[in-house]
Amino acid sequence: MSMLILGAGGFLGLNLVDAVIASGQVPRCGRRTRSNVIALRERRVPLVHADLDSRRELLAAMQGCVTVLHVAGHYPRLSLDRAGTLATGLGQVENVLDAAAGAGVRRLIYVSSAATVAPSPGGWPSDERHVFPAEPGFGTYHDLKWAMEHVVLAERRFETVVACPGACIGPWDLRVGTSALVVALARGLDPPHPDGIINLVDATDVARALVELAMLSSPPRRVLLSGVNRGLHALLCELAERYRVPRPSAPLPAAEAIALADSEERRVALIGGRPRLSREIADLVVHGVPIDAHLARSALGLEFRPFEETLDAADAWNRRMRILPPLSAEVAR
Amino acid sequence: MNSAEIDQRVVHMISQLCTVRPIQPKDRLREDLGLDSVCSMELLSMLAEEFEVDISLEEAMAVTTVGGAIDMTRRHIENGAH
Repeated sequence: MSMLILGAGGFLGLNLVDAVIASGQVPRCGRRTRSNVIALRERRVPLVHADLDSRRELLAAMQGCVTVLHVAGHYPRLSLDRAGTLATGLGQVENVLDAAAGAGVRRLIYVSSAATVAPSPGGWPSDERHVFPAEPGFGTYHDLKWAMEHVVLAERRFETVVACPGACIGPWDLRVGTSALVVALARGLDPPHPDGIINLVDATDVARALVELAMLSSPPRRVLLSGVNRGLHALLCELAERYRVPRPSAPLPAAEAIALADSEERRVALIGGRPRLSREIADLVVHGVPIDAHLARSALGLEFRPFEETLDAADAWNRRMRILPPLSAEVAR
Repeated sequence: MNSAEIDQRVVHMISQLCTVRPIQPKDRLREDLGLDSVCSMELLSMLAEEFEVDISLEEAMAVTTVGGAIDMTRRHIENGAH
């Protein structure tokens, strides 16, 4: 089966490339002109130019492919420009869908986000049935992810499958995206945060799930991928003990956290750098719901990795890449 | 390709990513040239492709200065030539 991975050089992409190779296949790997392809070159996989803003490039990259795995959905660094962000994200996803239709792709597996998962009536953990009926309106990230997923699920020219992972933790998070709070805490900082439910999943589990979705003859149309549901503040307190750093300050009230995130984003938009709290993270935590991932277990045969093992593996990788300082001999013991 | 040509090409590629002039070997990619970690990795990836050398991610992550990028490139080109 010929397979193209869009976003192969990114965090999930590199985990996915490894999972596809482990399944005995060699994926074609899409890259942009300025992608970091060091890790892909190490893997000796074929690279093709596939800029999501270029329908022509995408069409050429998809020629002869049966399956496209799309892990490059637009992920805005900041949430300040809602209209611009939605235009970019939707334009790119429409380019991907049109190119796939033009190239005769049979199945597109699109990685969305747990941000599209609505609360279940009655407060039970949410499952695949629970989708917001319209844009959630919480913030740019939620609205973007909902709108992009909506377009993918409305596609009728070929089969589309949507996977909604929680916050991914694992190796190859070179941009320190979803693990930013963990890394900040491990460095001894006191990251400001609201409290709420977050869904965590090992990036290698997500990659294995995506390979299964590519291989199954009749995959589920939408599948949620979450290994554990945790309260953020309690988790950060546990992590503080793990890293032997001071416990984090008390969580901010939701409105205060969102105001801080907006203010931080406006600040870094002017001077660069990272916000101490991003609006996307604040919204995800404030509006997070527990997820029931039974379908991933039953339909994909996925056994989620124990969370402690996920943390150990991510920690080892972060230290190997010098994102975190090496452990002293005393701590390592 | 001699060392001076390598140096010149590396500096030229860095100059495409930042506005600071002149670029010196001692310049730190982040603090002096304003390249964030993502941009620094893109630069090293571009060097790997431009000079057709295979560098590891660990090695790339350890490069923090213009001189470090030049040394890494030279080392790989010399090793590849043997």
